[in-house]
Amino acid sequence: MWNVIGHEWAVRLLSASLADGRLSHAYLFTGPPGVGKTTLALNFAQAIVCEGNPPPCQQCAPCQQVARLIHPDVRLVEADGATFKINQVRELEREAALAPHSARHRVYILAETERMSREAANALLKTLEEPPEPVVLILLASDAALLPPTIVSRCQGLDLRPVPLRELTQALVEREGADPAQAELLARVSGGRPGWAISALRDPSVMEARGRHLDDLQRLLASDLVERWEWAAGAPTDRRALRELLDNWVAWWRDVLLIAAGQGDKIANLDRREALEATAAWCPADAARAFLAQALRTVQGLAQNVNARLALEVLTMDMPTAPEIARIHGG
Amino acid sequence: MAQALYRKWRSQTFDEVVGQEHVVRTLTSALAQGRIAHAYLFAGPRGTGKTTMARLLAKAVNCLAEDGPKPCNQCAVCQALNEGRLLDLIEIDGASNRGIDEVRTLREQVNFSPNVARYKVYIIDEVHMLTPEAFNALLKTLEEPPAHVIFVLATTEVHKLPPTIISRCQRFDFRRIPLDLIVGRLRFIADAEGIKADQDALELIARSATGSMRDAISLLDQLSSYGSDSITRELVQAMLGAVSVEPLADLLDDVVQGDLKGALGLVAQLVDQGLDPRQLTAELLDYVRDLLQVKAGNPPSLTAAGAQTEARMRAQAEALRVEDLLRLSRLLTQASLEIKGNILPQLPLELALTEAIVKPEAAPAPAQSVQPAQQPKPAPRPAPAPAATPRQEPKPQPAPQEPQPVAAQPRREQPAAASAPAAAPASTAPAGEGIVDLDAVHHRWDEFVENLRTRTPRTLALSVQALLRSGAPLRVEGDVVVVGFPSEFHRHKANENAAKALAEKALAEALGVAHCAIRGVVVSPQELKAAEAARAGKKYAAPPKPTPNAAVSEATDPVIQYATNDLGAVAKPIAPEKPSSVEEETP
Repeated sequence: MWNVIGHEWAVRLLSASLADGRLSHAYLFTGPPGVGKTTLALNFAQAIVCEGNPPPCQQCAPCQQVARLIHPDVRLVEADGATFKINQVRELEREAALAPHSARHRVYILAETERMSREAANALLKTLEEPPEPVVLILLASDAALLPPTIVSRCQGLDLRPVPLRELTQALVEREGADPAQAELLARVSGGRPGWAISALRDPSVMEARGRHLDDLQRLLASDLVERWEWAAGAPTDRRALRELLDNWVAWWRDVLLIAAGQGDKIANLDRREALEATAAWCPADAARAFLAQALRTVQGLAQNVNARLALEVLTMDMPTAPEIARIHGG
Repeated sequence: MAQALYRKWRSQTFDEVVGQEHVVRTLTSALAQGRIAHAYLFAGPRGTGKTTMARLLAKAVNCLAEDGPKPCNQCAVCQALNEGRLLDLIEIDGASNRGIDEVRTLREQVNFSPNVARYKVYIIDEVHMLTPEAFNALLKTLEEPPAHVIFVLATTEVHKLPPTIISRCQRFDFRRIPLDLIVGRLRFIADAEGIKADQDALELIARSATGSMRDAISLLDQLSSYGSDSITRELVQAMLGAVSVEPLADLLDDVVQGDLKGALGLVAQLVDQGLDPRQLTAELLDYVRDLLQVKAGNPPSLTAAGAQTEARMRAQAEALRVEDLLRLSRLLTQASLEIKGNILPQLPLELALTEAIVKPEAAPAPAQSVQPAQQPKPAPRPAPAPAATPRQEPKPQPAPQEPQPVAAQPRREQPAAASAPAAAPASTAPAGEGIVDLDAVHHRWDEFVENLRTRTPRTLALSVQALLRSGAPLRVEGDVVVVGFPSEFHRHKANENAAKALAEKALAEALGVAHCAIRGVVVSPQELKAAEAARAGKKYAAPPKPTPNAAVSEATDPVIQYATNDLGAVAKPIAPEKPSSVEEETP
């Protein structure tokens, strides 16, 4: 029983190749963070080492060991600090040459390979092309475009796409015991990423942070430049928190665009419908689009290490202003 | 574990190699003539056959066959090599063994003669990853290796190699493999492996591989283990998240009709069905490129375009101008670049479609438009669709004419005398009935801005000066001078009470009126430029103002002094050149 939400085609493909004895030596699972790459990889690893029937049974000792990340032949390798380093790859190569401990295969799951250094990626190439016989490598990355093409072309690629809304909502209700309204909101806000939805369900602080971000946004709409900059001065400078903030803002503004375009039933932030509709009433679709484009550029800029405060100041400066404010200042 | 198909089906003879005829021909004829170089460099994109060719070369030079084509794949050496147990073929992973130490070891080993074969062949894969020191250590060996050694360097990034390395090798550039050749090879492998596959499915696979044979065979491998009897186009689409042509045509219809609601709705629906937004963007771009072909009178290149689709494409190509198609493809190209790492991967596409469909707002929000002639004309839409584009109307800034705030009232609590001497004499301006005219403002503007520096408080005065330098007077409404600024920030600053009061007082003095007011508005750069130009034109066209101290300057000019004092000349105004207004003033 595969414990994966959505990605039915991928599960089918992997279990069929396992049943036919046509395991590939290298896989690459791609998809946005939280879409279920690690979950799928761990399930696949369980299926490979499982002793029950049909694999993965989730009951036998190996399955449980994998679930607890203590199986001797299944390793989850994560970036050491900010990047995946060449030494990690060398160590992996050394270890991969050894025979498996108890299972028929050794499975290596390499998480966040987009953070591999160039040296590490190149060092991996040869192993990736023709690894020792019993080794299965599973690479995870948010986007194949972020990896060197030489890596991508040596793996069987499975691109995990967002899980359809209804399927995710249903799974949240059935498997996680979420309340249906809550489940639908989470499914929509997550953009079809079960991992995110589940973590938000288990950890209320995720949604609380989102609430704060959106409250700030709605307040700033009706603020003048001085207040916006005051806000920017006090905004988080931590990149991760900033990214989260901007992602929430982008999702909110996309909803404004959708409502302005007449697609109000497609919005993500259901709990903010009133504010969204009020904004869409004065903000034309093109203005929302222009701001979204600017927000995406800001996200990109932050990834390239621009000054966070400056970026936020520029962004808030470009944010459309609610008409009351614009009038007070005699525009 | 089954061997991956791309390893199993590596070409074993030169004839099997697909799509690199130029390399094969050169290499085989060189081999036939026994002209074997000591170092080769194979460069080209991934999956085009570099490693395969290197192994073939190793096999061919060592093949024991007396005659007939080499490699024979029959002799002991060929078989040993095929099974990967020939000691004289040394494959080095350049990316893992990239240091100078590895190269030194290699140099030591190079000198030993081969075990069984004629030549020792060193294949250094991913050679671009060697460190600069390693490259340099290799140079000597590469230039003149022992007679029994052949080097083959293979790389995907030949631009990273030092020129000194490249010039020591015979270089071969591998090309991307054409679509039909990939399809042919896929068909061959599928038949040999007993995999049932539809022709259009194979075509879709080949298209997604973009010229890399390994990518194509991997995908075939993967699909063959999906567990259904035959590989169909639908299966490939499900696997790749690829899009069939109908939704693309629907999206383009929405663009033609300006139906933003329909376009965004369709994107949301497709993505929720599990289509890959990246693919969707890329394929829409392909579709637009095809439309360009159709527009130019060529048939569409999409393999699966049926007669019906073709008719639709013709209609769309008819409705859109070439400029529209170019704009659309630019927007989509931009979008496909922005998808990378985006949490909402469909967003860039949605933004591109919105931009393509919604008319750009005419000039952000300057109040009642200034000089209509100067406004950039929104590009005329190909298909008129007023009904479909929803809200353009609710302009954020109705900008009702508010009565000017307190600051506009004459405030004379501070005696003007303090700064009066520096301020321009209010001689020419129409005496203060409270009506200001634009020409006067234009004439006096520079002077007014310049003289601001003498005002108090000094810091405020300087910042006001800087502000006004970035703006330009647009028009006059009663006694209100409307000043255009390039951004909301400037406008906001200029409308602050203290700044406003200071600027208004100075301007009133410069113009010689009792009071006047300044109101800032945000204008587009073009408008600002036009206003600047209008002002500058007026200024230069205007008669030169006689400075009140003209007499003084005549008296202090050393040349004139010399003329009058030593030569007995008399200074006189040159009458014909002075306009009449000057005559009135000079007395």
